[in-house]
Parts: sequence; structure tokens; C-alpha cells
Amino acid sequence: MIEVMDLCKSFGATSVLSELTLSFEKGKVAAIIGPSGGGKSTFLRCINGLESFDRGQVRVGGDVLLWNGDARERGERLRAIRRKVGFVFQQFNLFPHLDAIGNIVEAPLRVLGQERAEAETEAVRLLERVGLAEKRHAWPHELSGGQQQRVAIARALAMRPEVLLLDEPTSALDPVTATEVMSVISELASAGQTMIVVTHQLGLVRAIADTVHVFAGGRRVESGPTATVFDHPTHEKTRAFLHKLQAW
Amino acid sequence: MCEKPGSARALRTVVLLAVASFLLALSLTSAARAAGNDPTLLVPGTLIWGGDQEGGGPYVYPADDDPRKVVGFEVELADHLARRLGLRAQFFQGQWDRMLDLLRARKCDIVLNGYEWMPSRLETLDATIPYYVYELQLLARDRGDIGSWGDLEGPAREPRRRVGVLAGSAAENYLRSRPNLPIEITSYEGSTDAMREVETGKLDATLQDTPAATFYRSRFPGLRAVGAPVGHGYYVIYAHKGEKELVRRLNEGLLAMIDSGEIEKLYRAYGIWNDAQRELAQIARSSAFFGYAAAGSPRDASASERHVEVTARKHGLEVVRAYGGILLQSAGLTLVLSCLSFPLAVLAGLLIAVGRLYGPAWLRPPLTAYVEFLRGTPVMLQLYFIFFFLPEVGVNVPAFWTAILGLAINYSAYESEIYRAGLTAVPKGQMEAALALGMSRPLALRRIIVPQAVRIVVPPVVNDFIALFKDTSVCSVVTLVELTKRFSVLSQSTQATTELMAMTALLYLVMSYPLSLVSKRLELGLGRATP
Repeated sequence: MIEVMDLCKSFGATSVLSELTLSFEKGKVAAIIGPSGGGKSTFLRCINGLESFDRGQVRVGGDVLLWNGDARERGERLRAIRRKVGFVFQQFNLFPHLDAIGNIVEAPLRVLGQERAEAETEAVRLLERVGLAEKRHAWPHELSGGQQQRVAIARALAMRPEVLLLDEPTSALDPVTATEVMSVISELASAGQTMIVVTHQLGLVRAIADTVHVFAGGRRVESGPTATVFDHPTHEKTRAFLHKLQAW
Repeated sequence: MCEKPGSARALRTVVLLAVASFLLALSLTSAARAAGNDPTLLVPGTLIWGGDQEGGGPYVYPADDDPRKVVGFEVELADHLARRLGLRAQFFQGQWDRMLDLLRARKCDIVLNGYEWMPSRLETLDATIPYYVYELQLLARDRGDIGSWGDLEGPAREPRRRVGVLAGSAAENYLRSRPNLPIEITSYEGSTDAMREVETGKLDATLQDTPAATFYRSRFPGLRAVGAPVGHGYYVIYAHKGEKELVRRLNEGLLAMIDSGEIEKLYRAYGIWNDAQRELAQIARSSAFFGYAAAGSPRDASASERHVEVTARKHGLEVVRAYGGILLQSAGLTLVLSCLSFPLAVLAGLLIAVGRLYGPAWLRPPLTAYVEFLRGTPVMLQLYFIFFFLPEVGVNVPAFWTAILGLAINYSAYESEIYRAGLTAVPKGQMEAALALGMSRPLALRRIIVPQAVRIVVPPVVNDFIALFKDTSVCSVVTLVELTKRFSVLSQSTQATTELMAMTALLYLVMSYPLSLVSKRLELGLGRATP
């Protein structure tokens, strides 16, 4: 589904991502964990082109994004990839000038060219799915953080993405609202939605992830089935990281 | 380069045709000019003559009974001359100190407005023989301490005596060419401003052309003429360089009026006939004025007395009744100018800001230069450029559209800076979220970024709209009589300054206050949808 090959990125002399080669399977949930500053979010943002990279390539389905591609061609590839890849931000990034349903239907209307009635029916269905049907006409600032993030997930799903990328979706939330969002994500996982999640919520990872990748210092230090990595970590950085989190 | 040969040929044909028809038109006009039995006029059958009614009586000023009409001895003179030429006279309003520029830019056929004969002007313009011999009269407070020119020249004292003059007038030249006079010279836009200032004591004296000094004597009973008139010059009519036929016919007309005594009758009616005018008869008799020579025409002696009265100064409600209507009309022009130019400015400003922030790299330096240039030069100069310079390269924009265009261009620079701030204030995550949903950058800008920026900039943009309302007053340089110019004109001819000022201020307020309210409502309404 998604193949990342030899991905490298640096800011000046500082290497942020080095020689990352990973693949993600359709219908599976992958989690990326690891200490802060390890390059997890940057990696995720490279997949849908929100960040550029200095070497390597990203392939999503049949579309290949090269680090040195021609600018115009790159623009077309990016849009093609972004239609297949949904993205959920840590800070939600709802559009403040549109209400909940307006946020959800905007891209289906303007990008996919759907009819308004069709888009709104779908939006209401998605709002029901994330438990916010009664908030369809609420403005973003009237919603709690957890509610905003659930609208943001519905907004991403409205484009029917083949893969959903979630960038620390609960980090900006208090523990109670975070559980609301996590239960929505779990529900998506059990419905077979392909996802890549960057998170610190090890409970969530254990519950939904088929595979875990551990990033540290811009490198992938360990990968494997969730239970294996959690219960028998082989790399010392994985052990240190898990130990630190479990100490709390 | 990689064009299809067919389309290149078509293009070449079109260009050739255009050039050919242009050359044809050019040769036709020059042929018509060479034939030259009729003067070339802007509008056939009409003599468009330029003047500024702000200059006041007795030259050209708004009529007392109908301020939409102009009266004055120059109005009657123009009518008279036009009739003789078989034409209809049409007054063209311009700012006095710009009149000759307006003539050079071919906005009118002639200028007839107390412009003195100056050899330097004949390099670019042609002039008729004089229609009035003016002198300069010193006016001071009755029973004041200035009784003669000697009192002005007298021993220097501190503070210096202050003398007011009409800006750019012969009186100003006269005083400035005498640096030994221990006085301070103050220039005014209208001649009666200075007279009023003498009466109220802010000025010690004023030097005025004899017509104005004589005509307004009854309005300013507190003033008296000091000493004999000084200086000596000629009012002439200016025309485009090379319009020999028009000038010849105007000269014939003037000579006939001088010979027949009609001009004396006219000047007596306005109380401005004096001994100096006998020189007109000499010029007519000798038929010579600086190289001009022509045959005289028979004298018409049927003169009957007529007298144009300076009406008493109106007060209070009288002023409101008499001038409220015309002020309101000018306020309408102010409103139209603002409401047409501002939307253009906002739209252009938005496009410029988007171009500078999100456009291709090659587009950014020219846009930055555009903004910096327009912010760094006065709007008055920009209007001047469009109105006076562009005609020289063949682009003739009418006054009204010059004003709209000039204001829109000038304000677009300011609006673009406001929008730039507004666009920058939209969080980066908004663009990322839009792109992540598969939107193109233009679509994301149009649907997501710009709508948010617009909400952010509502207060400063409305603020600029209110500022533009008042900036429309500069449009008087391109001959538009909007509210402020109308106020100046009326105040010069009526001296009812206090009442007119109050009415003008009220009108501006009535137009701009609702805007503040609308802005407040918008802020509240849009605030709802902002985090």
C-alpha cells in the first residue's frame, strides 16, 4: 500500500530522518512510537507531502513521490496522493469560519465535485459515526477539544481515504476527552480502516496496532508485531523508552 | 516562437491594418488642421472656457439665486465672445493654479480667468490681446496703523507685518520680487480668505487685483484701500499653441467690444471700470499689442447703465436654505467616488497581497515595488499623472474615471498591506489542513485562507474606507467639484464660512458614521465564527 524507501531529511547539519525504509499494508494498523524529537511526525508529514525530503521516495498505491521530482509533476502527484491519504492533526486545524458540517463537506464538494445533498448526507452519517450528530451546526470554537478532533476525523474520512494518517491525535487533549477520540479510532480499526498512528498512548497502540515501529534519533530502531515489541523489545532504546513510559 | 504559422499571419495582418488606419486618421486630422478655416474645438460648436469659481467675484462665482450656475464678468465676456464666433460658451471648472496645465492637456479650448499676460507662457500657449488692465491694490484695516505703502516699507519690526495674497497671483509675484520689504507673505487659495483675515486682524494687509478689491468692498466694510494701486498688467485669454485662427477671431471680438464700448458697459456693471482701462482703447486704436495687428471695427454707442450688486452676506438658516441643496449634490459625488473606487482598491489589494505571499517568485519584486511606490508618493501626484501626463502619450481618461482609478490604485497599496497582515495572521495549520484534504493551493486560498483573512481585516479596512471618503477631496485637482471643493467655492463667494463649514462637516459625518456602525456589526457577527 505505502512503501517508503531510503527517506532522508535534514535541517542544515541536523539529520531529522535518515535512511528510512518501511512499508505499510492495506487493512492493517501501524503505530509509530518513540521519544520526542525522534522524527515520527516529520516522517508522517513526508508521506502526504506536507514536508519535503532530501533523498529517497514515497510510493502510495501507484503514485511515486520523488525527492527531486519536477515541481509541476510533483504538485499533481501530491494531489493524487493526498486524495488517497487522509491526515488528522494534533491541533485539529478545523476551519473556524465553517460549522461542523461545513468543515466536513468542503473538500468533497470542491475537490471531488460531489453534489451538496450527497455530501451532507454522508457528513451526517460520519458525524453519527463519531458520536456528534447533534453538533452538526456548531462552530468549531463552541466544541471541546475532543469534539473538534472527532469532527476533524470525520472531515478526513469524508474523502474516503485508503489510508488515514494520525499525528498525535490525542496529545492536545485532557485524559477524559482523549478517551472519546481513542474509542473512535478503535472503532475505525475494527472496521478495517488502514491507519498509521503516531502516538504516546501505549494503551491505544496495544489495543489497535498490528505492527509497531520504534523511531529514535531519526532512525527506525525496531519493528515488529505489537505484542512482540512490547513484551520482548530487542533494542536498548526501545527498552529505555518503554521503561520510562511505564514508570509513570 | 512555437506559434502556429496561421495565427502568426493573422496577427501580423491585424497589426498592419491597425497601423494603417492609425496613419490614415492622423493624415486626415492634420489635413483638416492645415485647411484651417475653422478653429479646432474639443466639441464642435462649443467654446469650452476654463476657470475656477473658487477664485470668486467678480470673475467667475456661483450665482446667488442658483449656486449651480456661474456668473461674473468673465462669464458674460465668454458668452459675448462665443456669440460673436457663432459658438455656444460652456464653462469648465478647474483648480485655478492648474488651469494652464488643464489647457495644455486639452481639457478646454481656452482659459479666461484673470490670467495675466506673461512672455514665458507664450512658449507653450497662444494669447489674445488684453481684455482687462489690472493693478494691485493694497487693502488694510480701516483705522488700522497702515495708512500707506510707506508704513509697510518703514523700519523693520518684530514680529513682521503679515500680508496675505492669492497663491500664484500677480500680487504674490509682486511682493516676492521685493525681498527688501520687511513683511511676511502668506498665500491663500481664494482671494477673499485674505480679506477676511485682514478684517479679523490675523493679517495686517492684503494685496489684491483691482477687480477683486473693488468688487468685494461692500462685503468687507472694515477694510480700506491704502495708497494708489501699484503694479500693472494685462488679463489675456490663453489658447492652445498654434490655434492662430481661434486667437484671431477672439481678438476681433475683443477689439469690437472695446471699440463699441460694450466692454466698458460690462465692466461698469461690475464696478470694475477705472482709468487704467483706457489703455484697452489705445491698444484697440493702434491695433497693436506685442506684435498683434488688426483692423478696427465700427463703434456702437448705444450704452445703457447696468449695475451688478454684491448681495449682502447671508446668515444662519438662510445659508442652509440657499446652499444646502448644492452641498448635498456635491456630497453625492463624494459618495459615488468613494463607493466606486474602494471596492476596486480592496479587490486589487487582496490580489496583490496574495501574489506577494503565495505567488511565483518572479511576481513578488514587481508587486513589492508597486506597493512601495504608491504608498511613497502622494495621491494628488498620482491623479495629476493620470490626468495631465497620460494624455501626452495618447491616453485620455475623463476626470471622473481618473478620480476613481487614481483613488483605487492609491488605496490598493494600503489595502494590500492590510491583507498581507491578515493572511499572515491565519495559522499555518489551516493551509496544511486544506492541502491535506487534496485542495490545490489556489482553491485553499480562495475557500479557506482568504475568507479567514477577510474577517481579520474588517476593522482596518472599514477604517480606510472612512479615510478614503475624506481623501476624495483631492479630486478637485482633476476638476471634480466634490464636497470639500464646493465648500471652498461657496465660502469664497459668500463668506458664510461658519455655516458652510458646519454643514460640510455634518454631511461628511452623516456619510461616514453609518460605516463605523456597519463595521462594528460585522466585527460582532464575524467574531462568532473566529476561535
